Amino acid sequence: MIERCVLFAVLSLTACKREMRDLRSDPPEAAALDQVRPMENRIGGAAPRIMYALGQPYEGNAYQLNQGKRLYDWFGCKGCHAQGGGVIGPALMDGWWRYGSDPVSIYLSLRDGRPNGMPAFGQRMTTDQMWQLTGYIRSLGSYRPSTAAPSRNDEMQARPAENRGPAAAALIARPSR
Amino acid sequence: MSGSYLEQVVQPDTRDTDIPPRLLGPQLERIWGTPRGLWGFLTTVDHKRIGQRYIVTAFIFLAMGGVLALLMRLQLSGPERRFIDPDRYNQIFTMHGTNMMFLFAVPVMEAVAVYIVPLMVGTRNIAFPRLNAFSYWMFLIGGLVLWVGFALDMGPDVGWFAYVPLSGPQYGAGKRSDIWAQMITFTEIAALAVAVELVVTILKQRAPGMTLDRIPLFVWAMLVTAFAVICAMPAIMIASTSLILDRLVGTHFFNPSEGGDVLLWQHLFWFFGHPEVYIIFLPAVGMISSIIPTFARRPIVGYLPLVLALIATGILAFGLWVHHMFVTGLPRLGESFFTASSMAIAVPNGIQIFCWLATLVLGRPVLKTPMLFILAFFFTFVIGGLSGVMVASVPFDTQVHDTYFVVAHFHYVLIGGAVFPLMGAVYYWFPKITGRMMSERIGRWVVGLVVVGFNLTFFPMHILGLQGMPRRIYTYQPELGWGPLNLFVSLSGCILAAGFVLFFFDVVRSMRSGAPASDNPWQAATLEWATSSPPPSYNFSRIPVVTSANPLWDATILPATRGLRVERRELLVTTVVDAEPQARESSPSDSIWPFWAAVTTSVLLVSSIFTPWAVVWGAIPVTFALIGWFWPKSTPEDLA
Ligand code: HEC
Repeated sequence: MIERCVLFAVLSLTACKREMRDLRSDPPEAAALDQVRPMENRIGGAAPRIMYALGQPYEGNAYQLNQGKRLYDWFGCKGCHAQGGGVIGPALMDGWWRYGSDPVSIYLSLRDGRPNGMPAFGQRMTTDQMWQLTGYIRSLGSYRPSTAAPSRNDEMQARPAENRGPAAAALIARPSR
Repeated sequence: MSGSYLEQVVQPDTRDTDIPPRLLGPQLERIWGTPRGLWGFLTTVDHKRIGQRYIVTAFIFLAMGGVLALLMRLQLSGPERRFIDPDRYNQIFTMHGTNMMFLFAVPVMEAVAVYIVPLMVGTRNIAFPRLNAFSYWMFLIGGLVLWVGFALDMGPDVGWFAYVPLSGPQYGAGKRSDIWAQMITFTEIAALAVAVELVVTILKQRAPGMTLDRIPLFVWAMLVTAFAVICAMPAIMIASTSLILDRLVGTHFFNPSEGGDVLLWQHLFWFFGHPEVYIIFLPAVGMISSIIPTFARRPIVGYLPLVLALIATGILAFGLWVHHMFVTGLPRLGESFFTASSMAIAVPNGIQIFCWLATLVLGRPVLKTPMLFILAFFFTFVIGGLSGVMVASVPFDTQVHDTYFVVAHFHYVLIGGAVFPLMGAVYYWFPKITGRMMSERIGRWVVGLVVVGFNLTFFPMHILGLQGMPRRIYTYQPELGWGPLNLFVSLSGCILAAGFVLFFFDVVRSMRSGAPASDNPWQAATLEWATSSPPPSYNFSRIPVVTSANPLWDATILPATRGLRVERRELLVTTVVDAEPQARESSPSDSIWPFWAAVTTSVLLVSSIFTPWAVVWGAIPVTFALIGWFWPKSTPEDLA
């Protein structure tokens, strides 16, 4: 009986975290979230401390991931990265990364841009939004199916939905390197 | 002493004529009774116990939904209030609607029928009693799934009709809509099961002599309702299953870019959703037709027109659904057709109202609490009907669509049309179910508070709607000027709530210490009043024979059948039209398997929210439960 209660409590906590909707983070929180500490080469770095205090909300939360997916559409990432398979820009779901797969590297790619043609979005998005996108980009390849990952969009499908497990399988060309 | 004596006397194939009349009751109790304790609770298939539980559970859901309503009124009591954040508010209004429609209104009507119909038609148990037990557990677990989801911040937040694309994979993030869709599956399974039981009970288990034109009107209403359930529910099951498939495995039922259709959802939903209104309303009509003759002290006027009106309403109910979709840009012809059919349904409803009024005028009405609720119904339902005719016309509907006018309208028809008669029915049948009377004095207060509170709460909503206040908003700006009226509505809501609290108080109080009730405290005419209050486990020691439409008024001594076996559960099967005795039929005994079947099915359904593989692996325990349920027994087949 006791184990069951504990199990239930744990399950409910994870459920809360997965389903919570923080519609807008507090301004001081948002400011702190921008405090990533990049390394010298500005490729990767350490995440802002508050990220852990908040329990990494952009990784496993259904709402944040879903918002990320929308921003991916709205900010025209598709123009260069297609549905994740890549055109002008590199593929984002094949498991190969030019600048690292960790959240901070992706965040920096987004915020500051990258030399070979990735524009900087730091001036066009809020910190929240950039982290939402980061979380989403990380779920794009969906190496394992996740209950928080978004499902398909109402549009023509070029790849299995993020919650459907390894999307890389749908890539026609394997990375050459 | 009688126990050991009975053991000696009762051999296989002992008939009720073989043992002394004084021992008939104890013997039947031995065969039909439910053992005490938890085991009895889990295994019973007695329609009265299950019906009682069903009713109590549904009323608990009503109370919980009422609390949600109060929370919403608190938030809306003034502009820019900050009691509830928008996300929570979305969940709350969705939960309120879903809970009230799927966990209260439909189940409670079927629950009353599960209890009353077998008594009214004079049989010993409902048909398929184990399915009945299964149905209750499914309903209970479905309700729990919804509420636990809400407690975990996973409550659906897409409105009670969950339109795609909002509820679809692209916009409905997380598992919230899946919880909604799966809760639908649970309640629909439960509702369909009861519907099938009712149809068979009513068509095949009526007391001998209860020809079609002697069936009590409540039973007629439930027959029509059950058929409506059977025809309407599959549509929503298809819809909710397609939605889950779209969301979980990426099918494209509702994705226009891949050949799906968004409006398909609305059609499927309302093809169920509109008949559902009548699935709720028709039983209430039946209750009214039972209560009025009792308190008017005369047989109902216009039995035939009333039955025909019931059937006509049941059929027409399926031809109206598009009036929920007038603003979706349908072809003109479609709009005109559905306007006409929406107005046409006012005709059978009007006929019913006039029959009831005629009964009252020609009788000598006694104004007891149940009757007062019926009068409240007349007043309120007519207002709801009038605003209904208004929104049936496309130009008007286009103006008030999705405003508080619509909110006012459907609360008038649902609460006025179904909840008031239901509360009357509770006061009416409470003595039969518990053996105690509810308080007449408190009852009058309840009627007063509820009726006044209701009208003060919901009438101003018409005005708010005409002023342009949309439904489903979590707040509004002060400049819009809706503040004072909203405050008034919220305060009136407290009067309504007080009425309900008093009602629940009276129920609990009467259950403990109400005045003992006689077998037929209201001097009513139908068979449920022929047995004791509360009825014994076997309902009737001998199945009565019916010779008129109002058996308890017309026969001084009710004739009864003889020759049923007493050492096993046995009841009488009769012909559909004339209710001529056809066969003695065994009735299933208690069993734990319905419970396990419900538990395993629930595990399957809930897990399938998270992974499609649950359907495969979850099917295994379900199979075992069903094998256990249907394992062949060594009892011989029935002889005719
Ligand atoms: C104008 C075309 C263009 C647009 C628009 C664009 N990108 Fe890029 N992106 C690129 C190119 C080119 C690169 C490779 C940069 C490099 O190698 O230096 C890149 C690189 C990246 C990387 C790093 C990939 C790696 O392998 O490490 C990420 C992450 C990324 N983009 C995300 C985004 C997101 C999110 C958006 C939308 C907000 C976006 N991009 C919009 C062209 C674009």
